[in-house]
Amino acid sequence: MATSSYGLIATFDTAPEIYQAAQKVRDAGYKNWDCITPFPVHGLDGAMGLGRSLVPRISLVGGIIGFCTGMSMIFWTGAVDYKLIVGGKPFFSPMFAFPVSYELTILFTAFATIGGMFFLNGLPMHYHPVLKYKDIKRGMDDTFFIVIEARDPRFNLANTKALLEQAGGKAITELEA
Amino acid sequence: MSTPAAPSSTPPAAGKFLLIGVAGLAATALGLVISGAQNVAYSYLVGFSFWAAIAIGMMMLILIHHVFDANWSVLIRRQFEHGLSAFKWLALLFLPLWLASVFYQSDLIWPWMNLDHVMHGGHTVGQDVLYTKKASFLNLNMFTGMTAAFFVIWMWLSARLRKASFSQDADGDLKWTHMNRKTAAFGIPLLALSLSFAAIYWIKSLEYHWYSTMYGVWFFANCVRGALSCGVLIMIWLIARGDYRGIVNKNHFYSIGLLVFAFTVFWAYVTFSQYFLIWNANVPEETFWYNLREIYADGTPSQWKYVGFFILFGHFLAPFLYLLSYKHKVTPAYIRPAAIWILGVILVDLCYNILPALKDAHGDPLPFLSLNLLWVLTSVVGVGGICIWSYLKSFPTTKLFPIRDPRIGECLTYHE
Repeated sequence: MATSSYGLIATFDTAPEIYQAAQKVRDAGYKNWDCITPFPVHGLDGAMGLGRSLVPRISLVGGIIGFCTGMSMIFWTGAVDYKLIVGGKPFFSPMFAFPVSYELTILFTAFATIGGMFFLNGLPMHYHPVLKYKDIKRGMDDTFFIVIEARDPRFNLANTKALLEQAGGKAITELEA
Repeated sequence: MSTPAAPSSTPPAAGKFLLIGVAGLAATALGLVISGAQNVAYSYLVGFSFWAAIAIGMMMLILIHHVFDANWSVLIRRQFEHGLSAFKWLALLFLPLWLASVFYQSDLIWPWMNLDHVMHGGHTVGQDVLYTKKASFLNLNMFTGMTAAFFVIWMWLSARLRKASFSQDADGDLKWTHMNRKTAAFGIPLLALSLSFAAIYWIKSLEYHWYSTMYGVWFFANCVRGALSCGVLIMIWLIARGDYRGIVNKNHFYSIGLLVFAFTVFWAYVTFSQYFLIWNANVPEETFWYNLREIYADGTPSQWKYVGFFILFGHFLAPFLYLLSYKHKVTPAYIRPAAIWILGVILVDLCYNILPALKDAHGDPLPFLSLNLLWVLTSVVGVGGICIWSYLKSFPTTKLFPIRDPRIGECLTYHE
């Protein structure tokens, strides 16, 4: 897959245009591509064919680990390592362990959510090939872009270019890797 | 098949539910002969509280909708407004309990209404310092006045909310929205206080020795969970009927599902806090309430212990884990069983709070699995039939949804 090209970038002027173009790229079966918009476009994730994020699964794992950590930590300190009768209560009971376990559930869920989000979206990313594109800064202002990566199995310079043209893309340019 | 935006579709058959309701009440009345007045009165109190809780929850949701100027809930708000029509019938249905206490036997349900009622231990209520300190709060006049006040407040707020919302359908005047917002602003504290006191007078005072500052909040959590679950079922029913087909989308289900989930956690938080603080402080005036629901006087576990465990897992853990999933919240076929389940466990929770106040000769609560459960079910059917009949009778009198509400556009195009 040695290629000097990162992919193709196409410019769109309005949100409806990129929305419809995204649907066409999605229907053509591309997987490694992205939209760059100056503001969130509602429904674009659906038009791109993106599913639900995997972050909630990671959050759930974090929450379960947090709950188990709380329960086992209190069990170990109170009933194993340093037995001490407090307020006539048993050495261990899920009753008094619950508030702490609950807090740790939330804490670990938050860590897992933030960590999972960064893991999945690859941020922070200090360099990206599209940054070399001369007009890319307009993507923060008034212009919309679709980037299709060359590593996509369906990528073919001529066909992909034709697809972007047919979808209404302008100034279709090959990006340096 | 009616078109979705038709001003009124074919009215649903309401009379059927009136028949079911009357049949349920008749069956409950039959219980008076079989199980005696006291058992049936307690069971009826469970059935009554169940539907009263749902109606109160619906009103709370409408008030919250208005005070936050919400947009996604405009559609379902109309159905809750129809639900509020049940308050006048609920007031009527509460009357037998009050009449029985005043004219038949004063300690039939609430033992403190009879100062000569003999407590477990031999002394009477009148000699009980824990009663005399509360006597200015717990007496028949206060009970009557407060209960009357609750229903007056609820019927008055209902009338205001319904009038403003229904009038706006005709003229589209924004003043109705402003009127509703004002009603919401003073209605929320009024409703919060009245529902808390209702829970204290009707349910908590059955065992008047007990202290819990969480009790009103516990009842509130059940009210709103019940109303939300009914809301989910009404949405699914109206989609199946065709009225809301293509109008309610998955984002509406997601929002109401999130609230069901949130109130599952809230209910657990409140109920656990109540239990945990009493467990931790270990004061006999408070722990007896849970002891009665766990063991017999001789220390052996009673059925109520397992009911308690069922509530812990069924009222919290199972719906919590189930509703964590996005798919289970947005797919009608998945959220419907959760809504039905939650309504069922709310009923068990009310049984757990009310029925153990019924004691046998040894001062032990009567078991959960008894004939009383049948009278609970007949009461639920009886009171429920009347409430559903009232809802269905109100249903065809207005548009299917508030077509001139300023937020209706946002509601119909609602997305996450």
